[in-house]
Amino acid sequence: MATRWPGATPYSPIPAAKNLPGGGTGQERERKVVSKGNQQYPPLRALQASAVLRRASDEHKKEPLASSSQQHFDSPPAGHQPEQKPQGPHPSYTGQGGQESEDYESEEQLQHRILTAALEFVPEHGWTAEAIAEGAKTLGLSVAAAGMFRSDGSELILHFVSECNSKLSELLQKEQKLVQLGEAEKKPIDEFLRDAVEARLRMLIPYIEKWPQALSILLLPRNIPSSLNLLTSMIDDIWHYAGDQSTDFNWYTRRAVLTGIYNTTELVMMQDSSPGFEDTWRFLGNRVADAMAMSSTASQVQSTGEAVVQGLMGAAVTALCWKS
Amino acid sequence: MAAAAGPAVRCSLWQRRSLRCGPGPRPVPGGGAPLRLCSTQAVPQAGINKPVIDRIIRVDHAGEFGANRIYAGQMAVLGRSSVGPVIQQMWNQEKDHLKKFNELMVAYRVRPTVLLPFWNVAGFVLGAGSALLGKKGAMACTVAVEESISEHYNNQIRTLIEEDPEKYKELLQVIKQFRDEEQEHHDIGLEHDAEATPAYSVLKTAIQLGCKAAIFLSERI
Repeated sequence: MATRWPGATPYSPIPAAKNLPGGGTGQERERKVVSKGNQQYPPLRALQASAVLRRASDEHKKEPLASSSQQHFDSPPAGHQPEQKPQGPHPSYTGQGGQESEDYESEEQLQHRILTAALEFVPEHGWTAEAIAEGAKTLGLSVAAAGMFRSDGSELILHFVSECNSKLSELLQKEQKLVQLGEAEKKPIDEFLRDAVEARLRMLIPYIEKWPQALSILLLPRNIPSSLNLLTSMIDDIWHYAGDQSTDFNWYTRRAVLTGIYNTTELVMMQDSSPGFEDTWRFLGNRVADAMAMSSTASQVQSTGEAVVQGLMGAAVTALCWKS
Repeated sequence: MAAAAGPAVRCSLWQRRSLRCGPGPRPVPGGGAPLRLCSTQAVPQAGINKPVIDRIIRVDHAGEFGANRIYAGQMAVLGRSSVGPVIQQMWNQEKDHLKKFNELMVAYRVRPTVLLPFWNVAGFVLGAGSALLGKKGAMACTVAVEESISEHYNNQIRTLIEEDPEKYKELLQVIKQFRDEEQEHHDIGLEHDAEATPAYSVLKTAIQLGCKAAIFLSERI
């Protein structure tokens, strides 16, 4: 039997837009999709939104597979999906199969491009699938591309955080090179930390209106492993470039302290309405100074303690000598 | 849902330091990251199997740290006895080992184990405790620990050779040299009548079990 779906023929895409966000307007969406491209869409596995974005050459390659799988078509889209899934990631993943053309980009690269383009629309639409859809549009792709991502915008936020961290890394590395070449002075630690955290937080300024929303999404249990990972690697980067070479428990203490400073400053920034966020930077300076004071206090306490112990031992020995 | 097509893709996107576009089925930790110039000698992070190297350096650092503390404990009790100089010499070598691993840890940007404060105390207690059993007891402890460590280093050498002997040449050299020195300590312990300790086999088994647990935990935590 050629078709299982009412109204579907080998050359009309199956209305499976129910699988895409806001699916109800399946037919409409399909028609929009088909008309957007300037090519004949072969039996699309429209179930996979990313397949929509493949270029014609790739679609032709998929054709024989599609027609054979259509004959085994026995269950509704959801059931068929697991079979289809391996098709999507496979060619993009290995990147080594002989099938790909040389300028084929992997799915990961494509997602990266879409998310980067979507950032422009975040101030307007927030961290949502709308922003991603708009971003996809600017790249000349269909809005169905937003279907590749989760509807709460987590990937967009994580992508943004990751990009900011990379930018920070590059910045710190450049500074370090200048110091090594002797073209700049090595900063004292508190100034270095303050500048690094400030530079990183300044990257949030264009998105500051919608950032509280992003923070709450990052705290969702499902996102916590990734967001925690990004946070810890950023803090580790900052300490590394600050010249931290501790190999004992200090490693943990320092990072914990800096994480605390960063998080509290970020929260202060959310509520700061002063011009140029000067209240935030002042707060940051105070917290860093506190941390430095705390560490010097700790070492003072330690040396005082040692001195006290030695004094007591001396007193005990003297007392024993007197006794005997 | 079609979006679920890339759970592994998402995983690799958020891998630390790896958001560099590039084909690659496996999340490449630090892959493609630029050379990190550091105030000490930094090792290029690109292309090494970070999780494996991380574990190796973390556990070796913890091991040398613990060995240091064990010898410190033994010296605290037996420092002025006839075996004092022998223990002191072995301790000095362990100090060198620890220094080397401190350098490697900074160069490879490895996190130390959280349990260091615990190994600090436990090592000292083990050293002092075994020394309180007498000179032979201290030597028995040394034999047990050094045997464990030698075996552990051998395992690591095997792992690294399986991975890529060329890429990890320097690390392999270091571990081989240290393994040889730990083996020497083991032999010195035997020379000093370790086996004549009362309940030698029980003591040895208990200590080696503890070492295995310590290695397991330090690799992970």
